[in-house]
Amino acid sequence: MVTVKINGKEITVEDNTLILDAARDAGYDIPTFCYQADLVGVGSCRMCLVEIEGQKKLQPSCVTPVLHGMSINTETQQVMSARSSMLEFLLANHAMDCPVCDKGGECELQDMVYKFGPHTGRHSEPKFKFHEKDYQLSPVIIKNSNRCVQCMKCVRVCREVVGANVLGALGRGDHQEPSSFFRHFLDCDQDGNCIEVCPVGCFMRLPYRYQARPWDLKGSDTICSYCGVGCRMVIEQRDGVVLRAKAQLGVGLNSETLCARGRFGFDFVNHPERLTTPLIRKSGRLEPATWEEAINTIVENVRSTNGAHIGGIASPRLTNEELYLFQKLIRGVLRSPNIDSTSRWEQNAVESYVAATGMNEGGVSVFDCLEADTVLVIGSHLSDENPVTDYIVRRISANRRMNLIIASPRAMKLDSSANTLLRHNPGTENAVLNSLALGVFAANADKLANNDSVKALKDSRIEDLLTLAGVKDSEINTIAQKLHASSTVSIIAGTEFLRFPEGTIGLAALKNILKSLGKKVLVMPTLDRANQRGAWEMGVHPNFGPGYSELREKGRGVDGMLLAAQNNQLDVLYVIGSDIASMYPEQELAVSALQKVKFLVVQDMFLTDTAKLAHVVLPGSSFGEKDGTFTNQEGRAQLIKKLLPTPGKAKKDIDIIRAIGEHFDRSFGPKNALLVLDEIRKEVPMYKDVNLLFNNRKNTENKLDNKASLVAAADSAALSIGEFKTKVERKTPDAPFQLVTGNHLFHSGKYSRMSRTLLGLVQGGEVEISEEDANSLGLKNGDRVKVRGRAYEATLTLRTKRGTKSGVAFIGENFDDAPIGKFFRRGDDIPRVGITKA
Amino acid sequence: MEKILLKNLDKPDAHKIENYIQYGGYKAFESALKLKPDNIIQMVKDSGLRGRGGAGFSTGLKWSFIPKDPTIAKYLCCNADEGEPGTFKDRGIIDNDPHLLIEGMAIACYAIGASNAYIYIRGEFAFGANRLDAAIKEAYAKGYLGKNIQGSGFNLNMYVHRGFGAYICGEETALLESIEGYRAQPRKKPPFPALAGLYGKPTVINNVETLSCIPAIIEKGPEWFSKIGPEKSPGPKIYCVSGHVKRPGLYELPMGTTARDLIYNHCGGMLTDKPLKAVIPGGVSAPMLTPKDLDTPLDFDSLAAKGSMLGSGAVVVMDESTCMVKTAYIVNRFFSHESCGKCTPCRDGTPWLTNVLRRIEHGEGKPGDVELLESLCTNIFGRTFCPLGDGAVMALRGALKNFREEFQYHIDHKRCMVSGR
Ligand SMILES: Cc1cc2nc3c(=O)[nH]c(=O)nc-3n(C[C@H](O)[C@H](O)[C@H](O)COP(=O)(O)O)c2cc1C
Ligand code: SF4
Ligand code: SF4
Ligand code: SF4
Ligand code: FES
Repeated sequence: MVTVKINGKEITVEDNTLILDAARDAGYDIPTFCYQADLVGVGSCRMCLVEIEGQKKLQPSCVTPVLHGMSINTETQQVMSARSSMLEFLLANHAMDCPVCDKGGECELQDMVYKFGPHTGRHSEPKFKFHEKDYQLSPVIIKNSNRCVQCMKCVRVCREVVGANVLGALGRGDHQEPSSFFRHFLDCDQDGNCIEVCPVGCFMRLPYRYQARPWDLKGSDTICSYCGVGCRMVIEQRDGVVLRAKAQLGVGLNSETLCARGRFGFDFVNHPERLTTPLIRKSGRLEPATWEEAINTIVENVRSTNGAHIGGIASPRLTNEELYLFQKLIRGVLRSPNIDSTSRWEQNAVESYVAATGMNEGGVSVFDCLEADTVLVIGSHLSDENPVTDYIVRRISANRRMNLIIASPRAMKLDSSANTLLRHNPGTENAVLNSLALGVFAANADKLANNDSVKALKDSRIEDLLTLAGVKDSEINTIAQKLHASSTVSIIAGTEFLRFPEGTIGLAALKNILKSLGKKVLVMPTLDRANQRGAWEMGVHPNFGPGYSELREKGRGVDGMLLAAQNNQLDVLYVIGSDIASMYPEQELAVSALQKVKFLVVQDMFLTDTAKLAHVVLPGSSFGEKDGTFTNQEGRAQLIKKLLPTPGKAKKDIDIIRAIGEHFDRSFGPKNALLVLDEIRKEVPMYKDVNLLFNNRKNTENKLDNKASLVAAADSAALSIGEFKTKVERKTPDAPFQLVTGNHLFHSGKYSRMSRTLLGLVQGGEVEISEEDANSLGLKNGDRVKVRGRAYEATLTLRTKRGTKSGVAFIGENFDDAPIGKFFRRGDDIPRVGITKA
Repeated sequence: MEKILLKNLDKPDAHKIENYIQYGGYKAFESALKLKPDNIIQMVKDSGLRGRGGAGFSTGLKWSFIPKDPTIAKYLCCNADEGEPGTFKDRGIIDNDPHLLIEGMAIACYAIGASNAYIYIRGEFAFGANRLDAAIKEAYAKGYLGKNIQGSGFNLNMYVHRGFGAYICGEETALLESIEGYRAQPRKKPPFPALAGLYGKPTVINNVETLSCIPAIIEKGPEWFSKIGPEKSPGPKIYCVSGHVKRPGLYELPMGTTARDLIYNHCGGMLTDKPLKAVIPGGVSAPMLTPKDLDTPLDFDSLAAKGSMLGSGAVVVMDESTCMVKTAYIVNRFFSHESCGKCTPCRDGTPWLTNVLRRIEHGEGKPGDVELLESLCTNIFGRTFCPLGDGAVMALRGALKNFREEFQYHIDHKRCMVSGR
């Protein structure tokens, strides 16, 4: 700790505190342009100059740490005149077109000139202009360089945080222009973080252009509804139309960053095809109906049905409150054990995943994970599936000594931050983790002699594991060595463990072995749906109840329900927000089974493929139209807040669920989201003390991690890890590639397809293979290719990626012209495909 | 004075290694290899050598900041960017006596424990770069570079890095950025290059002339060196004289030679019978001297005492036919053109100065322009990220201080006081 004087006021702060932060602590704000807490300091804009007694020159407070005994003045005449002179210089070549600038009203330059002057201009020389008209940098970014203050935050965020590294500066001196390579169109992550950090109207959102003034907008502080990262953001509307989503510096774990989905994907809320009235099937066609008719029809059909023949599926994008109530309805009121939240993961796979990652042991903060000596990312394509986690890992790993190991069949942007990369065959996470376990065991044979996991591994031959995984002995040894040498290890384990649940066995074993060696081990799951974890914790799962509690009887998951339907044993199916007909990994089967359900109720925002098969369709709500909580992948409960009313006659999902429940049980409730949350706190001890307040509090200290928002450990949980074996279709000469899936960077399931902005970012389906494979096939990036599997064939655009494992092909689960479900068959986890020029 | 730095300039083909060796070259390196690195650093400290790149920092002291840990890679970068207008001394050495520089660098590397050295050479110096490449090749062949040099166990690789045509590339941290492949813009200090320089490793950056002094210090001893010139900044100095003198060119003289001695004795006096009006003593960033200051010794401290600086030792002599407004404009235009763009006051302030000066020079000056210039100078000076912006201000302030009435005349009469046009 050091003591310094700031404007005569004595203050004690930690060593190496920047003068800027110390002054802010002492209550003196210092204006800045180039400073940003999350970026490496550059000290270039000179806005933050202060006086240090005994030093001749003013010093930049944003890069100068305090020294003991320093006497600092931040408000002297000299400092004030330096501020206004910097602003005068910045204005010299500034466009001064505030009346037509999107940033007007929330521009840092405007605000600072207002505050510090100069209020009259002395510059009467001709201005230098970069260009006449604004130019487009991407489908979502438009630029006006004449307004630039050259803080380089755009360039720095792109390099240091996003890792896309596509921005730089052209020219020199006052001709210096931060932009893309010679202003070419950007082929990048399109996340618009450059827009967010730009203090002036230089980088701008194209979809928001000329739409509103900041004072016209009404906003609500909420959570992104796409992936499991759980980014905090503000969505803003004008006249009932959501116009913008923005992140806030120092708020939420994402601070000022979002990915393309979060920043640009909100426009589905105002999509013209939103369902606005209930529909009932009458003589084969879905016809508009009143709520009364719709609910009555449901009640009639359900009343006489045996619970065992009822099923309920609710989307992991609903709030905890909705899911909790849904669970109460299905289990408590309709007396059915058949409940699930996702059509993609097999029910025992989920249970094993929850057990192996230890989700029942409470939340794990990503920031804690990144304090470990070694961080292993496996089964998770972080860069595309959880982009903001990718940013966090990049930023933190750049600033501390740690091992970052990435094991994945596919190359990813984050690879460049890793110390060690492992490219293994798809679905072989188990073999990788087992061979690592054997490697760690070899170095600690004496200490581990009695370890159960080791005993279970004794039969495995390392050679077989290596062949299966397609990795080298030396690669495994290097990683095992690093694990062995670390006293803290974090494992970030993603959705591949749900697709190929065999991996959960290896994950649990390695975790156990490392722990029994006295190491601190943290496992953080990564998920691709905003409230997937919440759905499970609310008990929307056939194997466990709320808080992973044990059930008297396990029910059927989606697989089981569809099978039952196929055998005419499912009489009623109530689906909320889940498009099984297009997302189930064997599409034909799903559609034919749904057709056999005697009474299908679908509640959704859109007339999805599943809704088209329904007998009753109920118009539900988007995340912008309701209050509630989401639990992100870390186990952080966070508030979402209503911005708009539901369109037309559509209703909040919680109200629809309750309306149905009340027909069977007058006391069914509670009545609103807040009361349901109270009940959750009582009934699900994991949620008893979660602190939701932090989410709305501006945190000037840039502390993004509030442990009080993490769920606690479950009281008791009866979870076990199943027996699994990943099955790969046999290789044939015309189908050499193993096909895997996941989310495209710009999409999240099919849900994001209703965002026209996101649709504009990638035209049509893509298949990705390694650049090396493409070369040997005589193909190149951008070619149209035929992808032929045993069950299906599609013509797609080829994307090549350097560093992906040879023989791996990837198609996102998001494209209508690449229905991934048609390539797959239940039972074969990994189909084979051939790729030829179209 | 016996020539030390330019001693081989008139000898035929000194750039060839056989000749260089024949003239006594590489002996210093051979004897240095028998000394302890620390002793060499001490010798350089004792010699009193101060950097010839501009700032005049003690070379031995700079070397001594390099951590001794043998497991950390270290670098030496020779600054051969020679960007300061009026300066052409480094080029004289590189083009004619490249082995002198290589030898000096080799000794420096041995002293600081660097096994890789870069020569960052101004992009326009194609001839010099090729000379250096050829000379380095010869040195490898003769075993003065490469592995296990002269059986000492010391390894050294040397590379020539061609620059990218910007004045800022000569600023030491911008130079490092440029070698690493980034845009040349200065880095924030601290950390200083001695701790985290090239590729984040401890690095010494020295000017060509500085490094070329080293062989003589080893050969003849620090005592001998420290006796040349003034006590506080000893050694030989190459003055680059240009402008209105009879014999412009390179003059190696003891540090501290006066301007008068240099101009009237060594350079043969003024070019015509027009009297001297002003002298820029150390490259265009250095404020000018007027005839009354001609007896100032041209060394670091004496010039600093006069409010100017030795800089690179580029002496620009101007006679009465010179318009100071035009001079100030041209010099300022250079700085605003070369501003790297990183910091606000220099990026946006220097072009503003240039625009006002251009107007005044072109007869479009307005009342209040001189005061505007002065006020802008105040707003730039001491607030820039690196010394480039300060340099621009110092030069202009020098002209305004000594020739204010010329500026005012331009504004009031819309024409030049000197030429009448
Ligand atoms: C804008 C600017 C340009 C510079 N250009 C050069 C140059 O061309 N050559 C040079 O040797 N030093 C130049 N310097 C000085 C270097 O930054 C550095 O001080 C010098 O190379 C150190 O070497 P020395 O200790 O041997 O003098 C420049 C400095 C600044 C601020
Ligand atoms: S475009 Fe914006 S963020 Fe980038 S340098 Fe200019 S003002 Fe800063
Ligand atoms: S999709 Fe995920 S990473 Fe992207 S903004 Fe939303 S929560 Fe954050
Ligand atoms: S003073 Fe600033 S703009 Fe000028 S060269 Fe230095 S860093 Fe670049
Ligand atoms: S905020 Fe400190 S220099 Fe820009």
